[in-house]
Amino acid sequence: MGLDRVRLALEGALRPEQLIREPAELRTYECDGLTAHRVVPGLVVLAESTADVQAAVRACNEESVPFVARGAGTGLSGGAVPVADGIVISLARMKRVLEVDIDAQRVTLQPGVTNLEITAAVAAQGLYYAPDPSSQQVCTIGGNVAENAGGAHCLKYGFTANHVTGLKMVLPDGELAELGGKALDPDGPDLLGVLVGSEGTLGIATEITVRVIRRPEVVRTLLAAFDSTDAAGGAVSAIIARGILPSAIEMMDKLMVEAVEQAVDAGYPQAGALLLVDLDGPAIQVEDDAVAVEEICRANGASELRSARSDVERALFWKGRKAAFAAMGRISPSYYVQDGVVPRTKLPAVLRRIRELEREHGLRVGNVFHAGDGNLHPLVCYDDAVPGQAEQAQHLAKAILEACVDAGGSLTGEHGIGLDKACEMPLLFSEADLATMQRLRHSIDPKGLSNPGKVFPTPRLCGEVPGPYRMHPLEKAGLAQRL
Amino acid sequence: MRRATAEGRRVSIERDGGDVVISTGRLTRLLEHEPGDLTCIVEAGMRLSELQERLGRQGQILMLDPPGDPTIGACLAAGLSGPRRHRYGAVRDLVLGVTVVLGDGTVAHSGGRVVKNVAGYDLGKLFCGSRGRLGLIAAVALRLHPRPVAERTLSVSAADAEEAQRLAQRALRSQLVPSALDLLWPGRLLLLFEGGERAVAAQLRTAQASLSGREEDASAWHELAERQAAARGRVWFDPGRLAEFLAETPEAVVRVTAGNAYVPQVVEHAWPPLAERVRAEFDAGGVLVA
Repeated sequence: MGLDRVRLALEGALRPEQLIREPAELRTYECDGLTAHRVVPGLVVLAESTADVQAAVRACNEESVPFVARGAGTGLSGGAVPVADGIVISLARMKRVLEVDIDAQRVTLQPGVTNLEITAAVAAQGLYYAPDPSSQQVCTIGGNVAENAGGAHCLKYGFTANHVTGLKMVLPDGELAELGGKALDPDGPDLLGVLVGSEGTLGIATEITVRVIRRPEVVRTLLAAFDSTDAAGGAVSAIIARGILPSAIEMMDKLMVEAVEQAVDAGYPQAGALLLVDLDGPAIQVEDDAVAVEEICRANGASELRSARSDVERALFWKGRKAAFAAMGRISPSYYVQDGVVPRTKLPAVLRRIRELEREHGLRVGNVFHAGDGNLHPLVCYDDAVPGQAEQAQHLAKAILEACVDAGGSLTGEHGIGLDKACEMPLLFSEADLATMQRLRHSIDPKGLSNPGKVFPTPRLCGEVPGPYRMHPLEKAGLAQRL
Repeated sequence: MRRATAEGRRVSIERDGGDVVISTGRLTRLLEHEPGDLTCIVEAGMRLSELQERLGRQGQILMLDPPGDPTIGACLAAGLSGPRRHRYGAVRDLVLGVTVVLGDGTVAHSGGRVVKNVAGYDLGKLFCGSRGRLGLIAAVALRLHPRPVAERTLSVSAADAEEAQRLAQRALRSQLVPSALDLLWPGRLLLLFEGGERAVAAQLRTAQASLSGREEDASAWHELAERQAAARGRVWFDPGRLAEFLAETPEAVVRVTAGNAYVPQVVEHAWPPLAERVRAEFDAGGVLVA
């Protein structure tokens, strides 16, 4: 069988400790952060170099065996779930910082380096790596590249794609492609921009060059309590309309605040909705912006306003927000995390719809979101012990997603499509759209071996294509048409 | 496109060369502008100046400032950018979604109109820099910024390559946050400060204290734009080794932190092999002229 021959080939090319074959050990790789989907791989390769990755991919290519790359396995969309009778190529051992170039403000890394380690490598020079997903202590830059990871501060600073300047990529046929470097804006189509966020379907990055930026002169963190998410949302809109660009604007609703207070006691005021605003930059700009933000919050009915006076206090303000997902575990036996995006202006309407859906399904939903860019994380609470509730929660989560798409948003702001939302892609994209994306995939992975079954709907995964096609806004505008 | 494919004819977009030339001259509408979301959707044939005028009415701006007055489609297809690239990124960093038409007539969308979106492949980025060889860009969703209230410029003479590097590094290691940091080489470093009045004045003072130099008005940027427009080629260098690059470059408009520069002589660049593979798939019929 193909897999057996891949195993044989790699036994020759790699050291024995680099291959995992025992079923009990293989099970450790059966899922990522989305634990609902589990598939035991046929083999796991612990790559230690680009050559190792190439050997593994070449062997797979020879035998037409699928492969899935894996970093820390913290992804939330099932992107690293193995393919049955396929192999997993783990990049976890490739964790060296290869070069730190302070003058150029570039760092070159192996894919297994964690997100926070990048900042650690340049912190002494007053620099940092800006994209800050919540899992940054453990998630790897390779995984960040696959998912185009964002984080709370991406409103101002952008995503992984805006910070990667170079990649060495093992293509699905085992060849090595070198793109970009330290200089920006290379000629030709922006392949770097396409590869970042391609969720492991176009090959495996084995060297990643990122840009690091200077720590801002000043950071101010404000906490504002409102009676309702509507009021808080009004404040957010007014802040943006005033021309202020905070580095982060986070919102938590009543249920989330309760959960967080029970879990970590961040000292949050009681509130229908809580806003956490970070302003950073040159001292005078931040000062002026802070005054304006406070004024706007009060004008929108803030019942309480706090400004962090020290780094310690700032960390405490953020502690609650960072503990949000985990805190939900205190007030609900289980919960289902969703990730959707809506245009900021549509947030109030979508939140209202979520309340309606709560009532319809008889389940509670806690909302924490990156209010600045409309990225919602509804946490659908349920009790696994109650028969049928898990399915209800899934339906509710899906209905919320549909509401996001209906409002002109997207299926995912940062967690990716992976396995979890592949079947929902037709809600957002027409057949022609998906076919065009598949053309891209086919040009780079003609055999379909690189993380197959992810991102795009397949009959095997999804059965019949679900749901009616939703007209794209440009189709509505009469510009584009389905042929 | 479909007809050209069927008739075996070749197509060029917005330029001569094909049997059929497609113009986006009538695709000039601002389809949507949502100030509260800082996003807009615009047809590719709209001129940058017109878009800025319309956005300006709502106190917003597209942070893209290439020389001349290209269409939005041209900005994407040719990967055009200007001084503000330093702070706001190139056009690919501002594109949220596109509608494109391939050589066989397929119409495809990717991305959307929201700032945060990781669903599917980012075809918008793929088409940035594609020069009409992958397809026609019909419409673009763009990320906008609030229009800065104040704008001031500092000009600092750089006597030689070493001094230029020293000054640039001093600026980068400081707490200054310029919107642009360009080098008109040989000659002077130009820094652009934008934002609130008070903040911009403070930045200018700090910059002057640390770098010396004198304040100039916006005409400095017009001069730079003219020099960039007249340049016939683009080259790249390691941004940490500015002095080395300048020592072997007689004349250039240098985007200091991006590590690229516009030079008078023509410089040819071929697409990397991977890009050619993609092109072959997207335009299997070979309809589109480079």
